[in-house]
Amino acid sequence: MRNKLVFVLCLLAAGILCWQLYNVLLNLPNEKDQGAIYRIVYFHVPAIFTGFIGFFIALGASGMYLGTRNLKYDAFAAAVTEVSLTFATIVLATGMIWGRIIWGIWWTWDARLTTMLVCWLIYAGYLMLRRAIDEPTQRARLSAVVSIFGCTDIMIVWKSIEWWRTQHPAPVLSVRDGGGMAPGMESPIYWNWLALMCLAAVLVIIRMRQENMSREIDSLRRMAHSY
Amino acid sequence: MIDQRNFTYMFYGFAAAWVIVTIYVGFLALREGRLRDELERVRRMVEDSGKKN
Amino acid sequence: MGKTSVGSFLSSTVAIASKDLRSEFRTKEALNASFAFSVVILVLFSFAFDPSSEQLQTISGGLLWVVFSFAGALILNRSFARELQNDCLDALISSPAPTGALFLGKAIANFVLLMIVELASLGVFALFYDSRFGAQLLPIALVIALGTWGITVIGTMFSALTVNLRMREMMLPTLVYPLLIPALMAAMTLTTDLMSGTPIGKDNTIWLRVLIGFDFIYSILSVVFIDVVLVG
Repeated sequence: MRNKLVFVLCLLAAGILCWQLYNVLLNLPNEKDQGAIYRIVYFHVPAIFTGFIGFFIALGASGMYLGTRNLKYDAFAAAVTEVSLTFATIVLATGMIWGRIIWGIWWTWDARLTTMLVCWLIYAGYLMLRRAIDEPTQRARLSAVVSIFGCTDIMIVWKSIEWWRTQHPAPVLSVRDGGGMAPGMESPIYWNWLALMCLAAVLVIIRMRQENMSREIDSLRRMAHSY
Repeated sequence: MIDQRNFTYMFYGFAAAWVIVTIYVGFLALREGRLRDELERVRRMVEDSGKKN
Repeated sequence: MGKTSVGSFLSSTVAIASKDLRSEFRTKEALNASFAFSVVILVLFSFAFDPSSEQLQTISGGLLWVVFSFAGALILNRSFARELQNDCLDALISSPAPTGALFLGKAIANFVLLMIVELASLGVFALFYDSRFGAQLLPIALVIALGTWGITVIGTMFSALTVNLRMREMMLPTLVYPLLIPALMAAMTLTTDLMSGTPIGKDNTIWLRVLIGFDFIYSILSVVFIDVVLVG
């Protein structure tokens, strides 16, 4: 049942991504100021949506773990955080490549870039902490607290650098006003977002299965020692 | 704007995104294999020590 | 009932804080090490850039807070780890003092120690780098106090969180510094402004708000979650 779900989600993601890749590369014209490079936005923006949603879900799962003390939530939080960190890495990488062309530099200490980097560092610390603790309930407890502290921190950073210094382009989507994209150019962002969400779901399912497996190993080992 | 360079970097951007996903999937696969081996070994260990007693 | 429980909470907090301060003042180990370390960093900075240049004004805030947060790590690392010997930590946790009081007491002790180190290194900084901030001394002290509370709250919390870990000394800075970024950013901006003679006014009150907000949010979060961290 779970395997079937993984298969369907994979197929869906691959289908949408291929279709949109074709659409973006061959149907859409170059942007008038940026040329071809603007197409990076079709990965950059969906990846950041997916990543941030993941971090928020991880926050919820961490809270649920502390409330219920069910290790399932801990496994879920760990899986979601790890996958979201992968997407955060994609955001940073694609953003830097875009910046190299448009700004002429790989990196700038702009508000959004800094927030993203802080976010990346915090969750990398979270995953490092998990590796440093062997005892499952202690690991779950401590990393849940770190997740809650980290997510709060990102919200503070986000708010506090808003008025700091910004050269990052304003949000381009028309959901918020001031969106500057033509209608046909905007839809691939949403399609790719859907595809990346499916991909993220697949990765989370696989990662969670591993988490369950290692828990089984732990309990078997304890059984072997108790004989 | 130099169009050729622009186009090349767009390609790099797309490639980077996929390379990162691929690396992560590879990392997952490696861990999956390691865990499977480990599980197999521990299972056998439990069976053996169960038989002895 | 409410009144007495608040009273006992406060008295346990004071007891823990004075215990920590007394044992530190007897040996002065962490104080000396941390102060010596900050002086060394301050000296090293003079090689990193021209110490007599105008440029110094614009980076003084950043420089000082780098020193402060490094010095803080030395003190905070030991805060809970010193209780591991002879199972003192278990004794503290099983004592009638609530864990929130244990946390607050330790945070206050760390705050006092770190403030001592910071004010001393601020003097060294003024001496070495010919920085004249006498006119703004009071606001600078306020900013330092607020920033230091931010460092101690996060630092004490994570000192408790990492106390039983194998790689404690490495995990603490890796987790603490990224979380401190908003507080340090605010404190650095304000200190630089004050050092170069700009008072806290309409341009930078926003940073004061960030700093106060950070302290407030994390003080509450820490007191709420310390029980989960220490007890389970």
